[in-house]
Amino acid sequence: MTATTPPTGQPAVRPQPSGAAATGLGGAVLLVGTRIALWLGVQLLVAGVLVLGGAAASGQPLGAAAAWWMVDGALIDLGTLGVIVWLLRRDGSSYRRLLGPPTAAWQVALGAFGVLAASVPAMVLGAELNRAFYDTATPPMFAVVDVPPLASAFSVLVVPLLAELAEPVAYLGIVLPRLEQRIGRPWIAAAIVVVVWAAEHAFYPLLISHGSLDLVFAAYRVVSVLPFLATWTALYYAFDRRLLPIMAARWVFNGGTALALALGLVG
Amino acid sequence: MHGAALYRLTYLAAAMSLGHHLDHVIRHNAVGWPLTDEVNAFTMSLVIYPVIAIGLLLYRTGRVGPGFWALVSGGGAVFVSAVHFGPFAVEPPQMILGHYDPPILGWLAFTWLVTFAAVLAITSLYETRLWWQQRHMRRTTRPATDVGTER
Repeated sequence: MTATTPPTGQPAVRPQPSGAAATGLGGAVLLVGTRIALWLGVQLLVAGVLVLGGAAASGQPLGAAAAWWMVDGALIDLGTLGVIVWLLRRDGSSYRRLLGPPTAAWQVALGAFGVLAASVPAMVLGAELNRAFYDTATPPMFAVVDVPPLASAFSVLVVPLLAELAEPVAYLGIVLPRLEQRIGRPWIAAAIVVVVWAAEHAFYPLLISHGSLDLVFAAYRVVSVLPFLATWTALYYAFDRRLLPIMAARWVFNGGTALALALGLVG
Repeated sequence: MHGAALYRLTYLAAAMSLGHHLDHVIRHNAVGWPLTDEVNAFTMSLVIYPVIAIGLLLYRTGRVGPGFWALVSGGGAVFVSAVHFGPFAVEPPQMILGHYDPPILGWLAFTWLVTFAAVLAITSLYETRLWWQQRHMRRTTRPATDVGTER
């Protein structure tokens, strides 16, 4: 990382080690847009396939497709990785640079433990939000999951890994530095990233209630992930923009949830 | 720059602590001395203000560093989490959520508490990293200084 003096009149933002590159904000918009479009497109595609295959009644294809949302995540993250690689090639940068300063394995492990510990308040708030929205019932995004054993194994072994290689790298490694560069105030850029990142969750899974999209569930999804994303984004700064501890902790968190679902401990 | 961030985070945590104590006073449940005769977790938690004041003075004079603040913030995070979130919590979330009318105020107070605990935990991790960095820098510069001194 090289230190540079900002030209007169420009905001003094710390030079970014990674994603603030030639493609600028357009690359960030492309990345977020791709993810949302893929979430919508893949779920509609799965619904279509299920209808054509006769596995879903024609009246409830989206409901049937929602059962596969965790597996769908692999396609969304592969698409995200594709856009990330394309942006990196255009900017002449590397994926490694997006992960921040070098971090030893023990630092990643210790940092991941710290991330999990610091996520406890978010978990408590999440539990209270679950109770407020759905009382003692399993939250719908877990209750709807119903896939064959092979797909279950895929969602435990492959999906969480792909998610960590794509999602935090996209939002914290690419979108955040570009917004910081454009806005000049890191805390505003971070707040925007957290809100947009949370808003993306409204699109998966798409649930139907009383014949139309379940907007209460969409709102619940956004609100319930917001404290987690805010915590992880703050920790990204606290760790001097090291992504690996956050990725490792999220992998444990998301992989553990997928495993609990696969074993029937949730839902 | 790191020093300024550490000061800002300390002031933020102190302000959030003050806000949470104010929430206790408004609810008037789980309060202790000096508001009642009972000495409890509320009373013990008030010790944080002299700790912060003395810590700031010592930090300004260079007698304590980020390691001290990491312990204070981390200890605070553990204390607040144990009192409010743990399986043996003496003041579980329902004592906050169920004591406000309208309920939205209870949610605001609870969100404040959760944010406070998260700020303490994140701050502690940040200060731990600073402490580790300073320690590492001291180690790497010491041999060169020692050689120079011997000559």
